[in-house]
Amino acid sequence: MPSLPIWQFDVPLLILVVLFAVVALSIRNLMGTAIVFGAYSFMMCLIWAGMGAVDVAFTEAAVGAGVSTVFIVSTIYNTSATMPPRPGGLPFKLFIGVVVTLTGVFLLSAIPDFPKWGEPNSPANATVAPYYISNTIADAHVPNIVTTVLADYRGFDTLLETTVVFIACIAIYSILRVDEARSKTEDSGPVDAEPHYDPSDSLIVRQASRFMVPFMQLFALYVIAHGHYSPGGGFQGGVILGASLILVAISFDLKFLLAQWREKQIMLMVAWGVFLYAVVGLGCVFMGGNYLDYGFLNPVLPGEQDMARSHGILLVEIGVGITVMFSMIGIHINLASNGHFDRGL
Amino acid sequence: MENLIANFNYVIVVILMMIGLWSMLAQKNLIKKCIGMAIFQTGIILFFISIGAKDNALIPILTEASDHKYHDPDVAKVANPLTQILMLTAIVVGVATLGVGLALAQKIYREYSSFDEDEILNKQTK
Repeated sequence: MPSLPIWQFDVPLLILVVLFAVVALSIRNLMGTAIVFGAYSFMMCLIWAGMGAVDVAFTEAAVGAGVSTVFIVSTIYNTSATMPPRPGGLPFKLFIGVVVTLTGVFLLSAIPDFPKWGEPNSPANATVAPYYISNTIADAHVPNIVTTVLADYRGFDTLLETTVVFIACIAIYSILRVDEARSKTEDSGPVDAEPHYDPSDSLIVRQASRFMVPFMQLFALYVIAHGHYSPGGGFQGGVILGASLILVAISFDLKFLLAQWREKQIMLMVAWGVFLYAVVGLGCVFMGGNYLDYGFLNPVLPGEQDMARSHGILLVEIGVGITVMFSMIGIHINLASNGHFDRGL
Repeated sequence: MENLIANFNYVIVVILMMIGLWSMLAQKNLIKKCIGMAIFQTGIILFFISIGAKDNALIPILTEASDHKYHDPDVAKVANPLTQILMLTAIVVGVATLGVGLALAQKIYREYSSFDEDEILNKQTK
């Protein structure tokens, strides 16, 4: 058997990931599915960290393993976790199995044509990426190359991705939100699943999160501000900030959170984040440069052209952080209260 | 066969994509369809990260030399940052779209009080 070119550590992890994916989909209780899916995300996160993608691993740990598990659990909380047994349907499943196997065989047949794993001169690694690696210090004085590419070299990409998060938040509001007056008359039937327990009863959970939340928020601000020099940035910091307020909503009460941040304010903040990003780009146009060319901001921002780019990246990351933070909260309060905004997970 | 072992990562990518696709097509439960979509997505992310990985490379964060200056890095020894940032944004957008999917599932449950595809179709025809 030829020696594997990837690290020995990765092989058991890759096998575990497949195992977890199969287990997550075959458990008949949806709550179990959600938890195993969280474990799956953590395994994925380890694999990516092993391949040197620390920023991606950080994001996955915050988003995939943390927030998305909360989203799935709050959906289940409002609906039902059980799956009725459904016998039969074997021909259909066999047919789908054949289709999927055929697709897999086609994809597998393409694998021998790929460059070897870890090849530094493969097309993906040899075209534009070397420029980013060797010029990040001279252009923007940011040692974390991922941050430079994210907010500067490929600023348009990130601007539109932030817009997608904003649009997804609006979409969830328009799908789930219930008009209060209408819901009063229609409030019957299986819409309101009775909560099995009152989570706000637990003194321990409440006190623990009361101590944890300030440190989480401080850490998140550090992640945003220090994203130039270490793994992190607007996306990760925003998700952690959002998660800290989601923790408040879960451990205390949804109303407790909504008393401090009204839904209108939350929606406005989501928009303000994208707005800040777009305005920084427009500022560059007014200073005589191209859109999102932060170097031209150096009359306004301190430092020479490269430091102006560094500060422009920070401004943009703050915008991304605000949007991501409040859209995570907005999505959570909708999913957790089934659109009623009164009580929930 | 030797090629498949040498590119073990990509084999796992294909298997994950097959699992995700199977779940989206064959599972009757809407939540499991959403999770299948997420698994499919992580398969693609793993594919991109595998492409950008370099053997014996460092993470894409440069470090100061002993004279507190950044010298020109050895490009072959720094992991590809480009595929990483593309996937970083894809993860955050992925959780937002997963939220949209779950919201749709909740809305359907409100109407039909079931996640089961067949049951929903039965109630629609009645």
